[in-house]
Amino acid sequence: MTDEPILSVRDLKKHYPIRKGIFNRQVGAAKAVDGISFDIAPGETLGLVGESGCGKSTAASSVIRLEEPTAGEVVFNGNGRGGASHNPDGTNPNDVTNYSDAELKRFRRGAQMIFQDPASSFDPRMTVGGAVAEMLEIHGMSDRHRRRAIVEDLLERVGLAAEDYDRYPHEFSGGQKQRIALARALVLNPDLIIADEPVSALDVSIQAEILSLIDDLQAEFDLSMLFISHDMSVIRRICDRVAVMYLGEIVEVGPTDEIFADPQHPYTEALLSSIPTPDPRSSVGGIELTGTVPSPTNPPSGCRFHTRCHRVIQPDGIDIDQSDWRGILNFRDRVAAGQVDIESIRENIVVEGGAASDNDVREQLRKEFDIGDRIDDSGVEETLAEAIDRLLDRDNEGASELLSERFSTPCAETAPKRTVHSEGHESSCLRHESEQAAASNPADD
Amino acid sequence: MSTPLLEVEDLTTTFSTDNGDLTAVDGVDFAVDEGETVCIVGESGSGKTVATESITRIVKEPPGRVEGTVRFKGRDLMSMSDEELRQIRGNGIAHIFQNPQEAMNHCYTVGWQIAEALQIHQDVSNEAARARAVDLLDKVGIANASARFDDYPHEFSGGQKQRVMIAMALVGDPDLLIADEPTTALDVTVQAQILKLLDELQDEFDMGILFVTHDLGVVAQIADRIVVMYAGKVMERGGVLDIFEHPAHPYTQQLLNCVPEIGGNEGGIPGTLPSPYDPPDGCRFAPRCSYAEQACRTGGQPEEREVSSSQRVSCIHYRDDRDPSMLRESIPGAEQGSNEVSSADD
Repeated sequence: MTDEPILSVRDLKKHYPIRKGIFNRQVGAAKAVDGISFDIAPGETLGLVGESGCGKSTAASSVIRLEEPTAGEVVFNGNGRGGASHNPDGTNPNDVTNYSDAELKRFRRGAQMIFQDPASSFDPRMTVGGAVAEMLEIHGMSDRHRRRAIVEDLLERVGLAAEDYDRYPHEFSGGQKQRIALARALVLNPDLIIADEPVSALDVSIQAEILSLIDDLQAEFDLSMLFISHDMSVIRRICDRVAVMYLGEIVEVGPTDEIFADPQHPYTEALLSSIPTPDPRSSVGGIELTGTVPSPTNPPSGCRFHTRCHRVIQPDGIDIDQSDWRGILNFRDRVAAGQVDIESIRENIVVEGGAASDNDVREQLRKEFDIGDRIDDSGVEETLAEAIDRLLDRDNEGASELLSERFSTPCAETAPKRTVHSEGHESSCLRHESEQAAASNPADD
Repeated sequence: MSTPLLEVEDLTTTFSTDNGDLTAVDGVDFAVDEGETVCIVGESGSGKTVATESITRIVKEPPGRVEGTVRFKGRDLMSMSDEELRQIRGNGIAHIFQNPQEAMNHCYTVGWQIAEALQIHQDVSNEAARARAVDLLDKVGIANASARFDDYPHEFSGGQKQRVMIAMALVGDPDLLIADEPTTALDVTVQAQILKLLDELQDEFDMGILFVTHDLGVVAQIADRIVVMYAGKVMERGGVLDIFEHPAHPYTQQLLNCVPEIGGNEGGIPGTLPSPYDPPDGCRFAPRCSYAEQACRTGGQPEEREVSSSQRVSCIHYRDDRDPSMLRESIPGAEQGSNEVSSADD
């Protein structure tokens, strides 16, 4: 891209300290956003997508400095302040994270935010016209009549009437309120809009209305946008590029069409496959992600997705069915966490005429973790059987030790680097790294 | 044909408010068979939630007033005393709601709450209740159920809470599960897990499910039959393939067009829901319908007409003396410059 990006985020981090005890000692940090980087070109819409708790909203509020980022650089070249050169100390003069109060106020003229819940983002005792005009007043437009004229014009442009100026928020429906929120975001003529789930609280029919309004306004005002949503179908409609977030990190970024047609990261793949398709003839043969997003206070080592990944890599020397491998790792983790209770499993097996035998428990365990009856690799099979036997002997620690010693995945050890698939399409997955290494050194074998 | 599990006829629910009477549900009929999933679809404010809450009369009375006929396994729920109805709720018909957070008491452990629900309906000892609760938690996929029994709701994630709610709904072996937007508050990945769970449980317990949602993607995946509601009235009903492949009512057509993967209608449906205090004459959708004629705006909601043996629609264009094909040929989205719409309807 020859165009300089309007917003350029580098290695942005937001950690919330966790304090304990009477001295409020910091004992850890919730790493809500942990080193994300992206660019937004002028007139472009970048989507940020992920499950709840992955840090996408925190990323948005850190970019616009509603919350102070812990580290990183956010360079904004709006308001004709382009041509970013570096200060003598290496910082960037347009780095939002270093702005003084006055600079920040000027920055907010160029970047505006829209929130999810339009009902709670308006003062119920202020007319909607007043709420929009307040922005102009704060930023120095002292002429009351001019303020009113601008706001009335803008209300019409977002599909409301000039007379709505004097009405109160409760007189509007959710969709209409979101239109007013759009007017409020646009009144200062910004270059960048950060929209945090702007249509999630709306009905499908109203969602479609607001999305097409956003589309039109974007063309009309030449806006760049950071669009945050957990809804892939909304993202697909509105975004030029998509960044997929998982547990504080961006795992894949690329043009929308490519991401949807050819997802490279297993997480993106799983996310896409869990969208219910509005076609009753297609079956739900999706990839099922088990469990929930791990806690950001203590994220998994290596690739953060490896605890749920359906494509988790098998180490050298093991080559078994992928779903068995996933099952074995799940089993290992649950045993390590002390969450496999043989007695309750035994109780829950209903056997005719008496208590369940050890063999029934063995079968049930394998069924529960989706591990096949017999694994082809005899070494793996032996270790697994041995671990289950130790569990049956109430030797949980022994079983856990054996499992973690024998079964490990490279995904847990190495953090994956970015792999470029095509222009602008990158993902972080170890599988691609090894594939690319193999492709570049074909003579190694 | 045998009698359906649930039969609702001419269900009308009104609320007296300071602004006059509000008719949220206005003469609605539908039925659910054993082991079948029926979806009620509509925008917010269409009355779908009130309709389901009127079945077991958990709408607040007063200000609410429920009229009509509701038969569950042939028994009339409307004439039942509160005590009899209480036996049906939770035992024969169970509810799960959109927000599991609000449906649980955060001062008690989840296990206690499931056991309580059980002991209200059945005379069982504390130990037996505990065993059954653990069993149910296990069944809905809560790992390590016997240990989680003593955890409080805040120790569960949103998806797990919804699993607990489902476990609670299952204590009485219900024949009918009413699920009111159970996955709307959840992430897609968790939603997929919950939908799969409901499907498995339906097979295992042979339950009928009445599922309320506005998400047409979910509907396409789980529904056997669909009831489309708008402003308190049924617009159209039919099998899932009928509705998705040959939507008959202009409202259904437009609603489907709003789904990004199906339609090219990027502008949404123009206009808003009519006021429930003073609904328009004739078809409720007429003020927003591009095919509306004078005849649409007089009288009551048009009588339902058969489109096929499994699909019925309330629209005058399907009367014998009319030609409904005009609706098919020029679906509103097409006028706005999209050609994909007509192919989606083929």
